[in-house]
Amino acid sequence: MQERRDRTFVHPRRLAAIALAMVGVFVLLGVRLWDLQVVNGGHYRELAEQNRIVRVPVTADRGVIYDRSGRLLARNDPGFAVSIIPVDLPRSRADEIASRLAVFVERGSDAILKAIADQRARNPYEPVKISVRPLPRETALLLVERAELYPGVRVTAEALRSYVDGPLYAPVLGYVGPIDEEELADRKGGGYLLQDIIGKTGLEWEYEQYLRGTLGWREVERDASLRELRTLALIPPRPGNDLVLTIDDKLQKLLDAELEKGVREDKFTQAVGIAMNPQNGEILAMVSIPAYDNNAFIQGVSSAQMNAWNSDDRHPLVNKAIGDIYPPGSAFKVVTGLSALSTGVATRNTVVNVSSNVLVVDGWKFYDWRVHGPLDFVNGFAHSSDIYFYTLGGGNPYSGQRGAGPEALSKYGKMLGFGAPTGIDLPGEASGIMPDPLWKLATFDEPWTLGNTYHESIGQGFVAVTPLQLLNAYASVANGGTVYKPHLLKEVRSDGKPVVVPQPQVARKLDMKQEDLRLIRESARRVVTIGHAYMPDAKLPIAGKTGTAEFGQSSGVDSAGRQKLGFHNWFVSFLPKQDNTDPTAEIAMVIFTFDSSRSLCDVCFNPAVAMTQHILESYYGVADKKASAP
Amino acid sequence: MSVRPIAMPQAASPLHDRPSARRLLEIDWILLITTLLLIGYGLVTGYSNTMEDRTFTGDVGQQLLRGVLYAVIGVAVMSIVALVDHSWLGTFAPVIYLGTLGLLAIVLVVGPSTLGATRWVTIAGFKFQPSEFAKVFMVVVLAKWFADRNVRSPFTLLGGLAILAVPVGLVFKQPDLGTSLVFLGMFFGLAFVAGARLWQLTAIAAAGAAALPVVWGSLREYQQARLVVFLDPYSDPQGAGWNIIQSLIAVGSGTLTGKGLTAGTQSPLGYLPIAESDFVFSGLAEDLGFVGAAILFVLYLVLLLSALRIAHRSRDAFGTYLAGGVATMLAFQIVVNVGMAISLMPVTGIPLPFISQGGSSLISICFALGALQSISMRREVKVLG
Repeated sequence: MQERRDRTFVHPRRLAAIALAMVGVFVLLGVRLWDLQVVNGGHYRELAEQNRIVRVPVTADRGVIYDRSGRLLARNDPGFAVSIIPVDLPRSRADEIASRLAVFVERGSDAILKAIADQRARNPYEPVKISVRPLPRETALLLVERAELYPGVRVTAEALRSYVDGPLYAPVLGYVGPIDEEELADRKGGGYLLQDIIGKTGLEWEYEQYLRGTLGWREVERDASLRELRTLALIPPRPGNDLVLTIDDKLQKLLDAELEKGVREDKFTQAVGIAMNPQNGEILAMVSIPAYDNNAFIQGVSSAQMNAWNSDDRHPLVNKAIGDIYPPGSAFKVVTGLSALSTGVATRNTVVNVSSNVLVVDGWKFYDWRVHGPLDFVNGFAHSSDIYFYTLGGGNPYSGQRGAGPEALSKYGKMLGFGAPTGIDLPGEASGIMPDPLWKLATFDEPWTLGNTYHESIGQGFVAVTPLQLLNAYASVANGGTVYKPHLLKEVRSDGKPVVVPQPQVARKLDMKQEDLRLIRESARRVVTIGHAYMPDAKLPIAGKTGTAEFGQSSGVDSAGRQKLGFHNWFVSFLPKQDNTDPTAEIAMVIFTFDSSRSLCDVCFNPAVAMTQHILESYYGVADKKASAP
Repeated sequence: MSVRPIAMPQAASPLHDRPSARRLLEIDWILLITTLLLIGYGLVTGYSNTMEDRTFTGDVGQQLLRGVLYAVIGVAVMSIVALVDHSWLGTFAPVIYLGTLGLLAIVLVVGPSTLGATRWVTIAGFKFQPSEFAKVFMVVVLAKWFADRNVRSPFTLLGGLAILAVPVGLVFKQPDLGTSLVFLGMFFGLAFVAGARLWQLTAIAAAGAAALPVVWGSLREYQQARLVVFLDPYSDPQGAGWNIIQSLIAVGSGTLTGKGLTAGTQSPLGYLPIAESDFVFSGLAEDLGFVGAAILFVLYLVLLLSALRIAHRSRDAFGTYLAGGVATMLAFQIVVNVGMAISLMPVTGIPLPFISQGGSSLISICFALGALQSISMRREVKVLG
């Protein structure tokens, strides 16, 4: 088209240039769109899904723990946890949020920031829990109601472990706590998340695999303000299985009440009581005093409290039934006796004439607690004559009788379970010491002496045992020669139905003659019948062996301010069903009292004896109401 | 071959400017159809956006009705303006100018503040955004300014700049950085069409560039952040880069054919900020994919080229400049808005013509397109023989 001269205001080339520029720009936009939508569309579609959907772990309820008759010992109470999804938390606000949350979760804001930064590096789409312990409802509500102030912060329900009887079962149950880096690394791939809860000690640790359950996942669609709109998919968590223990709560409480009473009345400062079924190794009760309140670990233990427990010389955090070792005293004479009988150096008719209360060998004096006169095996055991058992263990230069010797003592001692963990289903079990000449040479670089043998024969010197080892040894005698692995787990239940029922495990059979074991049982009954273990008006045919040991310091006071006496008492007992000579005992019990006062009354030397009688008679419902009335 | 105007001499008043059947036939049909298609496209995407918005609590039908109402008003405005000789717009340019300044000033004084900016006034229950109309009105004012003067004189250019400076300043103060930039883009486009000397335009641009540090200093912190972050949105994915990243995800996840109308996820879940206006393109690209976006581009391009053709055919300088100014203004808005959504441009909040919800934008554009039709109807045509 030809332009008219007078239309100079139209500049066709400029209009064309603009048109060209417009086409060019739209082509450019189109190319960019093609790149975004067609070339890289898949990538962005993934991102859009990721935006929209977040995978949130759903923790499983931890299994609860019952005693053998179904009484609840550990349960879950409702509480709240606070976690952060790093991808939802603007970096610029992290400082501010951390310092505000620090007040609620009682943690340093630095620690919170580090947790967030670590999780950002690990997987920013997954929440990291920043509350160490469950929060009360009011705090949780505060966070939820002002959600817009806390971007990326999630508040979820979290069960709060609760131990019904606190210190009574703390040594057995242990406690749970937040998983630490090391535990997390050990369980890589085990479905554990940072800041998860894990069993720290006791049965909570031992049976973590059953109690924990399986983590579930929830896929949640969210909008940009992180409100959760709906659940797209739910892999439900499998709650943990419940444990049923062999513990009998009734017996546990009887035992605990007696021992606590003894401490209150200043008869002793620490105590252990264990009861088991000698026919299968089931632990019926296990009390360790003083203990700690395991609920404290759920709420968080202050460092002052932790220091106090750690520096307490009564070791409240240790389950003294298995974790501390003590000299067994005369209760160890079962080893000396069985060694002598099994090696043939003694029979039930072996007589030692204890005409003096001291045996002098090479100028060293070995005392008995009194002059007994002539004693056979049953009476030597029943009266707990030290010289009788010196003779059985190391021989007697005056009468020329041979003893079993330290190697035999060690052999049969180990056979009865001393010097090695019993294998009970609890962490932290001590081995104890079952010495022999080689052990002394290796440990002290000194040769064994006859004096060592004498001391060992009456449970003094190097030998050291856990209360459980001593109980298990007597239990094997009481059941006719089977050493069981003691155990606390009766069954594992899922929805009330047993899924795992552990069978009694035999550690070993005693390579001993039945008549020798029968002789020990007969002698142990004699301990009670002759009144050495004084049980007035006894209702039950209890058999047992006392032990008294001097150990540790006998001056000063302990952490509770009680006098240290360095003097401990034992009573290991078993209760036959009918005749005490038959291997039919259905309960065996050991009571150990630490720093006992020596003379409580004229006849009852040993507080453990009276407590044993009272506990067993109460347990079987035959206690004399009048006599036991306070 | 000769060319002669079909227009009558200017009528005594706009009310006396009666349309003739002959003149109606000279409507730019391509422009009209494209306009209607774009309005329809805007209604469809607006409906889709409303359906996707799960935070929307009102009646979806009513929202759609409101869109239709705006469209009807827009078409009506367009028709009325088309029937009036565009010269009258020039005649009333000084009034229009003062009215624009008045409106902008009112916003600053009485407008409520949303998201830190004051852009609205409410008139008779309708939210009214004067800066949208100001853009169109300033095209009219500048076109008249250049048409009456020697464009090749630097004084004309500087005078135009001075006229523009007042509304730009008022808009900038709202603050509305995007609209201020549209004003400047439109000024250069209009001056270029009017035949201003290139060296003068270049000099003004250079002076503006030199003044950038001053402008930068007067920007609010969030504006500065938004201007820079598009270069690397991932430098602050939770903060200033958030909008851009979420917009890219929306656009990209649309792929070739889109997720379907009302089936997008980014906008309904609130990941797309201001999904109904500033980032409306992202929602469209997510729902309708590359195909949908390409259709939109083609419609835009047809519209813009039609406007340029009208500029080319205009009877008078005012018409040419007006059409050129409208074309460049619309092009500038489209490119800035789309560029922002696909991270080619900094984030500045300006609506996308026809697609963004909002009556002010649509009606003001219809006003401008009505003027274009008026120019088209009064153009000089070839007379064969």
